[in-house]
Amino acid sequence: MSLKKEITQGLGYSIVKIPNLVKFTKLRNVFLNKMGFDQNQNINVLRKKLALMSNIEINKVMVGLLNFTDASQIMIDSCSEIVKELCGKEILIQRRASTIFNLPGKDQRRQWPHYELMSGISPFTFVMWAPFHDLDDDGGVFYLSKKESYQKIKLEHSQGLVNGPTILNKMKNQKPTKLKFGEAIIFNPFILHGNIDFNSELARIACSVRFQSKHRPLMQKNSDFFKLYELN
Amino acid sequence: MTTASVTTDINIGPYKIPSNAQNMIMNNFASRNGLKVELVIPEPIMSDQLKTTQWLNKEFSFENIILCSLHQLPKNKAHLSKLIENLKNATFHFAIEGVIGKGKKFLIKSSEEANFFKKADLIDSQKFNWLELYEMINK
Repeated sequence: MSLKKEITQGLGYSIVKIPNLVKFTKLRNVFLNKMGFDQNQNINVLRKKLALMSNIEINKVMVGLLNFTDASQIMIDSCSEIVKELCGKEILIQRRASTIFNLPGKDQRRQWPHYELMSGISPFTFVMWAPFHDLDDDGGVFYLSKKESYQKIKLEHSQGLVNGPTILNKMKNQKPTKLKFGEAIIFNPFILHGNIDFNSELARIACSVRFQSKHRPLMQKNSDFFKLYELN
Repeated sequence: MTTASVTTDINIGPYKIPSNAQNMIMNNFASRNGLKVELVIPEPIMSDQLKTTQWLNKEFSFENIILCSLHQLPKNKAHLSKLIENLKNATFHFAIEGVIGKGKKFLIKSSEEANFFKKADLIDSQKFNWLELYEMINK
């Protein structure tokens, strides 16, 4: 089954090796610099620091990262062949890739289960998510298959709900996918995913970017979210 | 050398943004980017020429001009050319898109991008339910 078919018709997501790891490592290094760290420093030093921050401090850091506008382009370029296979050369990419921290311990803010379409991206948008380090604990993201996601969406739809208790309760008993640095997961916008509480001394840092063919329709996300981009 | 923010008509490309909300967006952008807004320019509604800004530039020599979106650039090519000529020394900041730049090449590229999004096919989310949207990726 082709990658596109696997993501749109099959499981709904796929783990891929990032083809241009040099570029992706550059992205991590630029990120470290933006966070005031030397690129040669072990990222775990930053992860440890982040793990001790309050939610207010984390928010402040994330607002500061809004200016990290190169991130999405670097991430797409590091996987250009894969993106081309999914969407062709002429694409729309998220203007500002999201850098996401997941903090260990209970009572931390979590990304509750959701599917990306809820935010107004089009059904033809793909999401790529990659950690900046190996995921050795449960700090990653869990994903439900397309079939299981659809069952939940359909059940809530029949109850007149979207993102109601059925989906929110999926937070329990989930196992986040363990990825290595240099791996990414690509999924379609109907795949339910989220975080769970985890124990560690280190925060999890990941980057995600959304993209689609420029020849496919948009939904609510427009120039505020996407920019034109052409792959080589 | 002055930093100005510019409010325009409520209809901004695909968005509808009242002028007080435009000011909130631009002031937040200015604060995040270390800019101090010294002049707030209300452009008239029903026009996208940004003429008031161009006239005021003669007096204030703007260093930075903040707009909400690249959709506020003039659509007419002649009007855009005038803007490019008259405001060639100003750095433009489009707050919603987070895009910053100056000069002819930058403004033409921004205008082209606005034009692409203006013409792009849109799925009207009010005409479909979640299951119908789901079916779209299966086709």
